[in-house]
Amino acid sequence: MTLTLQPIGVATGFDEEGMMVLDEQQRLVAVLVHISDENEVAPGQWYLEAGFGRLDGIDHPAFADLDAAQEWINQRLLKG
Amino acid sequence: MHTSFHRYNPMIRKLESIFKLTEDERQALENLPMQVAVIKDDQDIVREGDCPSRSCLILSGFTATYKITAGGKRQIVAFGIAGDIPDLQSLHLKVLDISLTTLTPCQVGFITHEALRDICTRYPRIAAAFWRETLVEGAIFREWVTNVGRREGYNRMAHMLCELLVRLRVVGLAEDHTCDLPITQSEFADALGVTTVHVNRVLQQLRADGLIKLKGDRLNIPDWDRLKEAGEFDPAYLHLENNQAAA
Repeated sequence: MTLTLQPIGVATGFDEEGMMVLDEQQRLVAVLVHISDENEVAPGQWYLEAGFGRLDGIDHPAFADLDAAQEWINQRLLKG
Repeated sequence: MHTSFHRYNPMIRKLESIFKLTEDERQALENLPMQVAVIKDDQDIVREGDCPSRSCLILSGFTATYKITAGGKRQIVAFGIAGDIPDLQSLHLKVLDISLTTLTPCQVGFITHEALRDICTRYPRIAAAFWRETLVEGAIFREWVTNVGRREGYNRMAHMLCELLVRLRVVGLAEDHTCDLPITQSEFADALGVTTVHVNRVLQQLRADGLIKLKGDRLNIPDWDRLKEAGEFDPAYLHLENNQAAA
């Protein structure tokens, strides 16, 4: 599935930019946040801040880059 | 490993925070045979499904009691510190329903169930104190369920830090509002039911708000009242007889 990414500010309380992840029907499936460098556990990583539908749950992984994040999201969406 | 007769151990200190031991009771506790072992960090001491014939008294270090889901996710349900016997229930419940791991290098004393039964038969007040211990443990579990299930991350972490500080003070491991707290952010995440990213954010916020100072493993709480308020922390569930530790 081709996902679309749209930059968006996310009010996490830190200096962090986010990305909306939309599916082919332009529905919001996830919000990723680029973790600030002050965060010692995952600096610079893309964190699944929120997931919807099949991505909703207690799993909130962090990814090295956006490609890895999209791959994981796609796998989850297909698993259905 | 060797069998030793400790002149002094943190369990005695903990019991004495509840009631005054007679000379006989103290002697019996001091003479309780223990196999003392030094265990590295991140080692299981007992596992779910085990049928142990002894229980383990923590003499130093930190442990975690945990359960694992079918998907491999760990939930830490309790932290153990010096003076605790985190698997005391195995004295009466044959099959363990939890696993116990060291978080840091630990010194533990294994006490056989036979020796525990013997001291309980001879000293009913000690038997009652062990019973009381498991009841307080139950009270702590109830508080954790409430904390993990119903408080926001920030307040949840504040509550947990308050509890750890008070418990460490009971056994003399904290001075005023400062203690060693070698629990990692990922261990906190497993105990609080949030991600490590979230734990890190919450700790940063608590620091920025002036409620905690963290330097390596050293925790300092510059504003105890505000941290207690943030964690909605009321030490009543710890059932301390001497409230100094919670001050």
